[in-house]
Amino acid sequence: MNFMWDNLFRRSDQDRDVFEALRQTFVFQSLSRKELRFVQETVHVRAFKAGEAVFRQGEVGVGMYILLKGALDIFVDHPVEEELPPRSHLVTRLKGGDFLGELSLVENNSRRTATSIAAEDSQLIGFFKPDLLEILERQPATGVKILMRLSEVLGRRLKETTLKVTELKDDIRRMSERV
Amino acid sequence: MRSISQQTLKRVNRWKLAGVVSILLTGLIVLLAVENLLTSALIAFVVAYILGPAVNIIERQGVSRGLSTVLVFVVVTALITLSGFFIAPYLSETLYRLKEDTPRFIVGVGHFISELEGRVQAISGPLSTFDLTTRVESFLTSRTSNFFETLPSYVKTFVTVMLLGPFLAFFMVKDGRLMSRGTLGLVPNHLFETALSLLHQINLQVGQFVRARLLESFVVGLVTGIGLMAISFPYAVLLGIFAGVTNLVPYLGPILGAVPAFIVATANGYSALNIAAVAAVYMVAQLIDAGFLIPLMVAKIVDLHPVTVIVVLIAGAQVLGVLGMIISIPVASTLKVTVSTIYRHLIDTRT
Repeated sequence: MNFMWDNLFRRSDQDRDVFEALRQTFVFQSLSRKELRFVQETVHVRAFKAGEAVFRQGEVGVGMYILLKGALDIFVDHPVEEELPPRSHLVTRLKGGDFLGELSLVENNSRRTATSIAAEDSQLIGFFKPDLLEILERQPATGVKILMRLSEVLGRRLKETTLKVTELKDDIRRMSERV
Repeated sequence: MRSISQQTLKRVNRWKLAGVVSILLTGLIVLLAVENLLTSALIAFVVAYILGPAVNIIERQGVSRGLSTVLVFVVVTALITLSGFFIAPYLSETLYRLKEDTPRFIVGVGHFISELEGRVQAISGPLSTFDLTTRVESFLTSRTSNFFETLPSYVKTFVTVMLLGPFLAFFMVKDGRLMSRGTLGLVPNHLFETALSLLHQINLQVGQFVRARLLESFVVGLVTGIGLMAISFPYAVLLGIFAGVTNLVPYLGPILGAVPAFIVATANGYSALNIAAVAAVYMVAQLIDAGFLIPLMVAKIVDLHPVTVIVVLIAGAQVLGVLGMIISIPVASTLKVTVSTIYRHLIDTRT
């Protein structure tokens, strides 16, 4: 009996955690409580053991993950030599509330640009393209709000990348002038 | 924290995958083993694919999923019941007339065959002592009397399937998402995105295919029925419905759909001109189908080679008869999507 009660409360605790995590994620921040409940019914909560890959660089991805509990290490593979396997570099460690893989929600046949490995036992909320399409089909207003936020994130990323490329170009120009 | 070893992870994932596969297999065995369940489930899928978009439209207005589903099912049931009041007397009268006329049709077919036999023998001389006319007549007599004798049991099965199918469809439309999410929850992490994507593609393709084929059959049946009415042909509505239903079977369906009309025409001693008019009605319906409906609606959805279509049709007919012929194409296209997705996943994993 206790086991049943424990499970019931654990479930409702998890539901509350998922709701809070969604509410605090930038992509869903403009949604009302009712809309958030609808999104909560659409997303998938997945558990990963420490050392288990969430996705690997080069794989086709269909959506984004929000880190609910635990930590994720993000690695990028760099080719060393043609015949040797690529070398992995730890880029960053993500903590609860961070999200990743959002580009796969809008890009067709999107390939993952990094490898993500659970640094400890972790829980992730998965939000995928079929889920977004279903929201757009059943509650278009909610879907549009999500898409607007998603565009904002992608726009910001594009701006950051453009700035980075400009800085690098400047560096290269300066270096070539010096040479 | 200690990381899980890749070997343990692989073992756990293999067990999880085995669990999912055994659940799916058990479901399939139950479907095949329980009487009428497979047909009811197929009808449920068809009903769910037809009514799902209507439920979505109501849900978009802010109505809950449950209430939207109830509203759509109540309205559709009311419409079917109302139309049943108009159609039932006509159908029972037509079936009664058909039962009365059947012996005459069989004799007519017999006459036609013996005339044909006589003409062939006039050209080629006697081929054998094989009495085709008597054989065909006795075959048709036994089959039709069997049909009318077993009609009550067909009606019983029909009523069971027609009650169970929509009942299952109601929950598929209302809670289908929860059911598929529950099953997906058991899929191992490394296969989850592939499984989700696969399910989405299959759902989309089969849904579009079912809606397109039903609309196509409806148009073919309507054109045939109206055409036959225009030339004052008997049983026009019944023949239109039959042409629509048989049109669901690719390639063979249109021919099967036209056969009863030619039997009726032959038995009633129609002139060659009248028979040509009947043929014209069926040809116009098929031209509309082949020229507009298939290129616009069906061909884009199911991209199967004609040889593949013929092979799966034969396989479907061998396994499940007429039902197998109707469902063989969506099953084949589902398999195609599944195989190509799994292949892509394997390529991704290997590279």
